[in-house]
Amino acid sequence: MIYVLTEHKDNKLKPITNELLVFAQRAGREFNQPVTAVVLGNNVGAVADELKSKKIDRVVTAEHQDLAEYSPDAYVSVLSSLLNSEKPFLVIAGHTTQGYDFAPRLAVALRKPLIAGCVDFEKIGDRLILTRQIFNAKMNMKTAARGDGPYLATASPGAFPGDDVESGGSAQIVAHPVQLQGPPRRKVIERAEAQKGQADLTTAPIIISGGRGLKQKENFQIIFELAKAVGGAVGASRPVVDAEWLPREYQIGSSGQTVSPKLYFAIGISGAIQHLVGMQTARCIVAINKDAEAPIFKVAHYGIVDDLFKVVPALTRIFNDLKAGS
Amino acid sequence: MKIISCIKPVPDPASRLVINESKTWIKDHDLTFVASEADNYALEEALRLKEKHSGEVVVISMGGEEAARVLRSGLAMGADRAIHLLDVKFKGGDEFATAEALAKAIQKDGGADLILTGVQSDDLGTGMTGVMLAEFLGSAHATVIVGVEANPEGKTIRAKRELEGGINETVELPLPALLTIQFGINQPRYASLKGIMAAKKKELKVWGASDLGLADDHVGRAGAMYEVKEVLIPERKSRVEILTGTPEEAVAKLVEKLRKEAKVV
Repeated sequence: MIYVLTEHKDNKLKPITNELLVFAQRAGREFNQPVTAVVLGNNVGAVADELKSKKIDRVVTAEHQDLAEYSPDAYVSVLSSLLNSEKPFLVIAGHTTQGYDFAPRLAVALRKPLIAGCVDFEKIGDRLILTRQIFNAKMNMKTAARGDGPYLATASPGAFPGDDVESGGSAQIVAHPVQLQGPPRRKVIERAEAQKGQADLTTAPIIISGGRGLKQKENFQIIFELAKAVGGAVGASRPVVDAEWLPREYQIGSSGQTVSPKLYFAIGISGAIQHLVGMQTARCIVAINKDAEAPIFKVAHYGIVDDLFKVVPALTRIFNDLKAGS
Repeated sequence: MKIISCIKPVPDPASRLVINESKTWIKDHDLTFVASEADNYALEEALRLKEKHSGEVVVISMGGEEAARVLRSGLAMGADRAIHLLDVKFKGGDEFATAEALAKAIQKDGGADLILTGVQSDDLGTGMTGVMLAEFLGSAHATVIVGVEANPEGKTIRAKRELEGGINETVELPLPALLTIQFGINQPRYASLKGIMAAKKKELKVWGASDLGLADDHVGRAGAMYEVKEVLIPERKSRVEILTGTPEEAVAKLVEKLRKEAKVV
């Protein structure tokens, strides 16, 4: 069995859950293992139904009022009992602020291996080999868990394409009884927007990034216009932030955010390694730069070698026309 | 308040990293080691909490001379004393084995009210060790912390977590607790000359695996939960397709490719 520890919010699956399901469906095929999705929460009927539409074998729900809000204590307690009784082969969670908050505790509680931040897997003989990135994605490390399962893994957001999730299953929904020893020690006091206008880039499916090639702050306007036309978020390379054209939270790269969107535009960005480590796992990378030798073209899928001040407005026009036409 | 701040020595970010012959790690013999960046933020936060609430700050690290080095700089920054986990048996340990050894050491030192680690290390970068340490100690914990407010009299602490989507979540935990500190929470101080001189007189304990009562199969490579099969540089063949023509023609081709071929818009 392969278990997927789902994430949901407001009675809907979060996008990371589809990515985890893709990982599980692929691993399930390779290792000939059925896939079970696990939902923790309170009143999770809608989420369980949404999961039922996916091509998986079973949905396990664990409901309790103290699970309405995520807490590591309750998650570790419920999942320990579930995993001890069912002993799946592999347990997949997201490498998210939820997944990496409880998965390491769960691994210690079960005394089982955890491989965190996986970007790929392969089957060698009968063994599961999990790949993760180390040294800021400069290198990959292939690892094999030791001893008997369950093996725990967290998957990096963006590593598995959530759009590829297969649907059309007839999964059974099973309720797992929940017993908790008292309320969780950690209590949520409040949840608030961090800062007005803060760029959330780690979950943006499309990112339009500008670099030094924009020449001055005012010119960034064409990046924002393109972002609006495509429905994407704006990012920047370090020189842009150091020059204070944009605040630090827009920075993508080794000292900024690491992103893995499905589509990434690098505009007027030469592609220093510090920037590449923050975006090279994007599914599709478009580079627009007048220097054909710029290293960004080494990681790009599509490139246009021309003056960005001509290319970007033309691109914005096409996307605006597409929107108007649809 | 007694605060323990964990520091991992990692290769100086400016180093050129080369994979070793057995392809299981990097060649680390001739490298300069420094404290992992996020651990500096954790130590700075520990020092500020001590300045506000009094008590002591203890820095702890595992490794050879590189660990002694980051501990000395932690003492120079203002930590009161240091614990160096030094034993050839610790070599080859993973996050799990490291967390277990740290937990034993912290218990041997009489525990702590608060334990701080960086959110993740600059080398493995998985963010596992701190959270595992909390479970070994049986303490409450919270990750990705961008703000801390301690209430030592009430035996609680409030911490602000940085979640996805620009959301901050404030949580309250009972002490003792462990927090993993996010980059940028503060501006870490530099060691002053006075601090560097004072550091030489501060206590630095050295403990090995047997001091911690750790069985041989719980330390180092034997205690690791996974084995490294291969470390490699990911292949980056140039795969770029350059779209030509006037800017209008090139972008038209691009959008067509994005829609029909890559299917991303």
